[in-house]
Amino acid sequence: MNLEHFLKNEAPSWMSKSGTDADIVISTRIRLARNLEGYKFPRVSSEQEAKHVDNVVTNALLNIKKGERNFSHFTIKEMPALQRQVLVEKHLISPLLAKKEKSASVVLSNDESISVMVNEEDHLRIQCLSPGFQLFETYEIADQLDSYLEKHLPYAFNETFGYLTCCPTNVGTGLRASVMMHLPALTMSNQMKVITQMLTRLGMVVRGIYGEGSENLGNMYQISNQVTLGKSEQEILEDLQNVVSQIIQNERNARGSLMKQAPIALEDRIQRALGTLKYARIMTSDEAATCLSNVRLGVDLGLIKGIPISILNECMIFIQQGFVQQYAGTTLQATERDLFRAKLLREKLNVENQNSKEKGEEKYDV
Amino acid sequence: MICEHCNVRQATVTVTQIINGQKSERHFCEVCANQFHPFNIDFKKEENLHLAQLVSNWFGLPIWKSEAQEQQTQTTQTTTNCPTCGSSFRQFLNDGKLGCPQCYETFSNKLPQVLTKIQSGTKHTGKIPGTTTNNHLVLKKQIDSTRDQLQQAIVEERFEDAAKLRDEIKDLERKLEVGGVDTP
Repeated sequence: MNLEHFLKNEAPSWMSKSGTDADIVISTRIRLARNLEGYKFPRVSSEQEAKHVDNVVTNALLNIKKGERNFSHFTIKEMPALQRQVLVEKHLISPLLAKKEKSASVVLSNDESISVMVNEEDHLRIQCLSPGFQLFETYEIADQLDSYLEKHLPYAFNETFGYLTCCPTNVGTGLRASVMMHLPALTMSNQMKVITQMLTRLGMVVRGIYGEGSENLGNMYQISNQVTLGKSEQEILEDLQNVVSQIIQNERNARGSLMKQAPIALEDRIQRALGTLKYARIMTSDEAATCLSNVRLGVDLGLIKGIPISILNECMIFIQQGFVQQYAGTTLQATERDLFRAKLLREKLNVENQNSKEKGEEKYDV
Repeated sequence: MICEHCNVRQATVTVTQIINGQKSERHFCEVCANQFHPFNIDFKKEENLHLAQLVSNWFGLPIWKSEAQEQQTQTTQTTTNCPTCGSSFRQFLNDGKLGCPQCYETFSNKLPQVLTKIQSGTKHTGKIPGTTTNNHLVLKKQIDSTRDQLQQAIVEERFEDAAKLRDEIKDLERKLEVGGVDTP
């Protein structure tokens, strides 16, 4: 597959399938950090060493028998900056990898559900994405790939410390499981601070959707395990599963009481957001994220009909600056981006409405 | 006015000191003031130290207060550098990252005290490469964790559970002795 396949203006195909609890959990991500014995970690390794690691890993991945999964390999250095940014915004590579000058690369599966970053902070970062809340299923996929790779690669492993990683915060299982959640009701009722503190005590972290340091743009939160050593994969996943299930329940309750206490105010807020998305001419990414969050809540509560969640998922990715610039076909200033972002959103949402209308009419005819 | 110190240059700096309520004024030229100024600290050095201190505070390890002290401690301490990548434990404390897989072996006696601060244990209990159900290592791990459970059961005075766990451990140990093959 050529790179264009991974850059086109569409949501990745893994996102089109719906998962469990998809109204609150957008996606599940499993990441495994692995290193190769006998090589220095990428941060201190020489260009030559890095290149060797890249070759060994890429060969192992590309040799996976056809029919199962097809992988494509891309070298970061050879990509223009804008394309790197698009891949970051799609969560296919990390911001750190996008900045790498040494032999860093990424190996992607065609449906974009698996990406293996080579020479990021560790030699390998295996990442699997699934829609909805599917911790164990997603881990299964990552685990299978990992078990395949360990037969072909000399993993750095130690009986006491487990899988050895560059940063001691990843050592042990090397597993980081994260769940991306849409929590508008808990945010509106100011409960997120308490939840964040509670999670910290349980060895888990809450972050904004775009990783470390990003704020809770559009009421999206990424919840992941912090601890990787002293717990088995099973325990890590179970703990996260329990916590996330509880948060889902809390969010449902909070949504219920919002509907009970202030139905008109809530509907007003939601319909205004929809109006803004459909008709605004200037749209910052913050405003777009907020409006999309409100519309999503409206769809979940049945207050807005005719907008599929998949379109909202797509829009969530497209409002980011890299995508907007790709849509415009050129690099843009911030103010120009806001114009194009508004245009893009109008197109997406209005086209979709026409489609659903047509479909509705067809139904009457049949 | 002429500088009190060098008696050559024009005094341009007035230093007012209040020590125990006694006020004294002294006049220096710019060159001498630079050498004498009580607040003339090398800020860069200070800043570096703060950062290192922050990291080691986080890891809960002591940090040497000044360069002189540092040199002293360094001479008494046998500094081991990783044979593969050459990084030292001090370097690791500074940036929180290791250089190569070998580092874990090299610093295996110092790392656990760091790991207890940031992880929930110092021993890996998860997946092991090349795992088959009767693997030697898996058995060992299983025995370890069952022993922990046994201890817990004893502490909580759940003696029935403890007896079961003890039998379990015996079974596991037997399996381990026969080389991981489960023979009756």
